[in-house]
Amino acid sequence: MITTLNQPHQKTAAALLRGITKSYKHFRLNNIDLEIEPGTVNGLIGPNGAGKSTIMRIMMGLVTPDQGTVSVLGHPISSREASAKQDIGYFSDDMRLYKSESIAFHFQFVRSLFPSWDEDYAQQLLKRFGLIAQQKVKGLSHGQRVKTMLLLILARRPKLLILDEPTNGLDPVAKQEVLSELMQIVNDETRTVLYSSHNTQDVEQISDTITFIDRGRVIASNNRDEFLESWRRFKLQAPHNWQAPAIDGLRPESTFGNLRVMTLDRYQAEVEDRLQSSGATLESSEAMTLEEIFVAAVLRGREEKQ
Amino acid sequence: MNSQAIQILFLKDLFLSRWPMFGYLVGGLLSVMITCLPGESADFIGFILMVTFTIAAGIHLIGVLLLAESLDMTRTFVMSLPVSLLDYSIAKISVVVVAFLIPWLGMLASLTVLIFVAPGAKPGVLAFLVLLFLFLLAGFCLQLVTAIVTESVGWTIVVVVLGNVLFNLFLKMLNEHPVISKLTKSEVLSWPPVALQIIAIEALVILVALGLAFMFQIRRRDLV
Repeated sequence: MITTLNQPHQKTAAALLRGITKSYKHFRLNNIDLEIEPGTVNGLIGPNGAGKSTIMRIMMGLVTPDQGTVSVLGHPISSREASAKQDIGYFSDDMRLYKSESIAFHFQFVRSLFPSWDEDYAQQLLKRFGLIAQQKVKGLSHGQRVKTMLLLILARRPKLLILDEPTNGLDPVAKQEVLSELMQIVNDETRTVLYSSHNTQDVEQISDTITFIDRGRVIASNNRDEFLESWRRFKLQAPHNWQAPAIDGLRPESTFGNLRVMTLDRYQAEVEDRLQSSGATLESSEAMTLEEIFVAAVLRGREEKQ
Repeated sequence: MNSQAIQILFLKDLFLSRWPMFGYLVGGLLSVMITCLPGESADFIGFILMVTFTIAAGIHLIGVLLLAESLDMTRTFVMSLPVSLLDYSIAKISVVVVAFLIPWLGMLASLTVLIFVAPGAKPGVLAFLVLLFLFLLAGFCLQLVTAIVTESVGWTIVVVVLGNVLFNLFLKMLNEHPVISKLTKSEVLSWPPVALQIIAIEALVILVALGLAFMFQIRRRDLV
């Protein structure tokens, strides 16, 4: 399956993954195909251990896949390749700065590797995030550490941002500050963002396109609005021997006596009529939240795999 | 290969290791000064301190510059920058070796000066000391390759302990060798063939260990 994280058009993909497979002792990333269009914000949602971080590490050349090819911003990616990274800003929740050194030390170090470093913007962000350049990393709170790393990424004005769980463990205020900054960045249509999280609300807030990952496989991928429009939950009163009509993508979710709860991933206006005419009484037809869609998609994916 | 990136990484690591590097240099120089004090015990204490500082410098620098980078996940940060694995490997191995060589050379150079200027010093002892210092350098290179291959503090310490045991056996062997043992009392600096053969073996071990360290480092498939 080729997962295109946006509608295909003439532009070169910001990132292209083909047939990516990576096996670990207790986990396997399975034949991942992913295409990220330039100028889009893409959310990668999956439970912990789904493979989001591995995909991002492969895109950065930090992990070498067993099979498949990766190109980012038109450059083939491997640990031997450095040129693409000039235009990529990568953040990972488990990435660390040198704890005995100051924020200013990291500024100087990163600036020396990036001709694109924007000192004015760096100073603005420093102020906006409430950071002190002379402060040592070991004295920073988790939120300040995340902001420092984002500052080091954003001040070099990357074309592609790969953000692996950037809001993980942040308090609500710090989370909002980080998300606001990201919202400003994503308004710039020349930037492409790939953002992973297990928190659907964060991803929903900023993403154009969303991909669900579970157990090393892409289970669904779509434009955010289409995702929200195409998924529905129906509550039906139906007799014991009721047979659900054959509607593509309609699955039972739960049953309480005569009450049947069903979900559908390819909603069309005539579905309600078909359900009514099948002998059931439709009590409600509800739009689903992204979190509900995510859970339903994961459970369906697992069922299909079994 | 990007020589500018290598230089930046090298200087960054040299800066990060500045305190241990200069600390061991100062400790080593103080140990050399102790050998100038009157009495045979001063020589013995100074020598023991020099060896201790050299071994400690090796463990400490490998820990700070190599093992901590993978255990603390700072390598993920560095490798997210426009740096290839080749750039990283060249910079990393060079800086670890240079950071170790600063106190190592500081001690050896100050000993050399002392041997030639101090009244009553026997210049022949320099060849003996070079054999010992090269042994310590070879031991350090073996610790380096172990740290790179295993990324384990435990295995690196095992090699340090083995190196320490072998150093004592080596010292005993030199002291019991009919030609080498005479060097310590010789008024003239000389390099007998057996000493040159030992130096050649030590140089070979150093080169092979550094070659292996580099080879294993650039063949690494996963950096996190």
